[in-house]
Amino acid sequence: MYRYDEFDAQLVADRTRQFRGQVERRLAGRLSEAEFRPLRLMNGLYLQLHAYMLRVAVPYGTLNSEQFRMLAHLAEKYDRGYGHITTRQNMQFNWPKLPDVPDMLDDLASVQMHAIQTSGNCIRNVTCDPYAGATAEEVEDPRPMAELIRQWSTLHPEFTFLPRKFKIAVTAAEKDRALIKAHDIGIQIVRNTNGDVGYKIYVGGGLGRTPIIGQILREFLTKGELLAYLTAALRVYNRYGRRDNKYKARIKILVQETGIETFRDQVEAEYASIDISDIAVSEEERNRITAYFAPPEFETLDNDPAELQKALEANKAFSLWAKNNVAAHKASGYAIVNISLKPKDLAPGDITAAQMRAVSDIADKYSFGELRSTHQQNLVLPHVKQSDLLALFAELETAGLAADNINLITDIICCPGMDFCALATARSIPISQAIAERFADPERQRTIGEMQIKISGCINACGHHHVGHIGILGLEKAGVEFYQVKLGGDASEHAEIGKVTGPGFSQEELVDGIERMVDFYLETREDSERFLDTYRRIGIAPFKEVLYA
Amino acid sequence: MSTLKHKGKGPQSMTANELRDGYSVWLDENLDWTRDFKRALRTEDQDLIDRMQLKADTDEKANFVVGVYFIDIEPDTGLPVRYREKFRVNGPSYDTADLLETT
Ligand code: HEM
Ligand code: SF4
Repeated sequence: MYRYDEFDAQLVADRTRQFRGQVERRLAGRLSEAEFRPLRLMNGLYLQLHAYMLRVAVPYGTLNSEQFRMLAHLAEKYDRGYGHITTRQNMQFNWPKLPDVPDMLDDLASVQMHAIQTSGNCIRNVTCDPYAGATAEEVEDPRPMAELIRQWSTLHPEFTFLPRKFKIAVTAAEKDRALIKAHDIGIQIVRNTNGDVGYKIYVGGGLGRTPIIGQILREFLTKGELLAYLTAALRVYNRYGRRDNKYKARIKILVQETGIETFRDQVEAEYASIDISDIAVSEEERNRITAYFAPPEFETLDNDPAELQKALEANKAFSLWAKNNVAAHKASGYAIVNISLKPKDLAPGDITAAQMRAVSDIADKYSFGELRSTHQQNLVLPHVKQSDLLALFAELETAGLAADNINLITDIICCPGMDFCALATARSIPISQAIAERFADPERQRTIGEMQIKISGCINACGHHHVGHIGILGLEKAGVEFYQVKLGGDASEHAEIGKVTGPGFSQEELVDGIERMVDFYLETREDSERFLDTYRRIGIAPFKEVLYA
Repeated sequence: MSTLKHKGKGPQSMTANELRDGYSVWLDENLDWTRDFKRALRTEDQDLIDRMQLKADTDEKANFVVGVYFIDIEPDTGLPVRYREKFRVNGPSYDTADLLETT
């Protein structure tokens, strides 16, 4: 994993010292809130509905056990004993106190973490396929490129005051686990017909109040061109993006209003004017960064070892968990383990300090000390020996982290909603809990199969409801919460925005309606169709009929 | 500093967040800040409302609270009118921290 060089360490140390001074001046009354607010936001500190919230960046969702232990320490010492994994792979603390925040940032810096660029109109934390470096599906590990973008974009003077925030997601697999088409820029590492590795660039995707699926900006960029090309795209955005209207300021609106062809011409013209050698990173530097992500030293092992087979036959709970939560690894004899943060009783994405420590210990013991956060608000242990799976499962059970519902109907994405967020129009956590409760029967969940329910507490869509197979948006009218339903969204490589079904529901009506749709799907599906497949085959009308029955 | 001029309807309460701890607070009858909404002053008396505004502005300048504003109160229930403010009065309906405290 990437280690800070002296520039990074210096930068984070300077920034933390600077913020400590700013907090001291604020508390002493020498800075007004109007002066202080932008400064705290730049350091990831929000004022929410009930208290402050600190958002800690987890670059490309990669963490080591030492860092995760530090997050546990922060949760315990400065917060109320837990943290929350966000849909952008970051970690949020819901109850920090202002005078403590500089200490929290110092603690984070001691493990090479920070909260910079988790807020504001800059290039935000780059998100990434959580299986990076572990899946056989990828062309190569996308994290060195994500790290390159991190270094290039951190405090980039030209791109610190963009018209609006800017989010980049990267993947190197055809199967998209990073939602690249719902980002301002999405990058897919691909191999062209000559066998050269390069980048396919998507632009103008996004969720929020105007959901749009990204379009292809460039089919293929060679490796050396990336930063110069991104610079060109950001310059065009910086120049023409709508600064007059916050709701039209994202690049997706610019691309939509300009048209992708014209926008592409503008970017190519700007690109032609850039001297690539000014920005391009030498192969040497790229190799230096890549070396940090060198795969761990995998042993030579066989797939499906006999002890695993025996355990799968002997232990039903283990075999159900393994079937659902474990994915194929590129190294023979290894596996990728998904840890669900969607047990029935906690809010989606929440994890207690004790659980963070348990996961850190488990990562040390079984996964080379590495773990990942996912935009689905779960965790991943990327490199686990298949022969260790049973022992690992037992330790997860002890920690209360053995839920076997990855990608099932109770693996719900859910934003904090009105329970925490100052912008919310309705709650979202209780909705996810009511759905999880209704579909608690694990057998029934498995019968339903892959199903993505995503819930947002307002139109900002942090809970990705636009791309849920069933998407739920919380609204409020005359003091009563109600919930609008979208159907047919898709967060995969076949990304699609769901369609609104019609008028909204109370919480109770909503859960009943979802159950009727699910039952209808089970009666109607052909072969191994998922809910989404059946929906696509027969269209929205029959589902609407049962939803509003 | 609040630039919002008070234009509420019906009984009013004054609210803000504590600068240090971030918690929501309301002005009580002694024009002190309380974290307990039940003790909040709810009034239609224009003189009192003016004094609340003055106290809030002063405390904001003194860096005791941030983001001061009036909220409308329902005369019959004594609760805030806006859903969001009703919610703010009670705190999260779910918080993982509460589970930790009970176990
Ligand atoms: C009150 C404090 C806030 C809370 C608790 C909150 C919560 C969240 C969460 C959990 C996410 C996804 C996590 C991440 O970025 O790591 C997010 C992203 C987002 N936030 Fe907020 N947020 C807050 C403030 C804001 C503000 C001030 C805006 C701007 C009006 C905003 C608009 C959005 C949008 C549009 C997204 C994501 C959609 C996208 O990916 O484009 N939020 N927020
Ligand atoms: S979707 Fe709305 S309610 Fe949910 S976290 Fe984002 S801004 Fe808050």
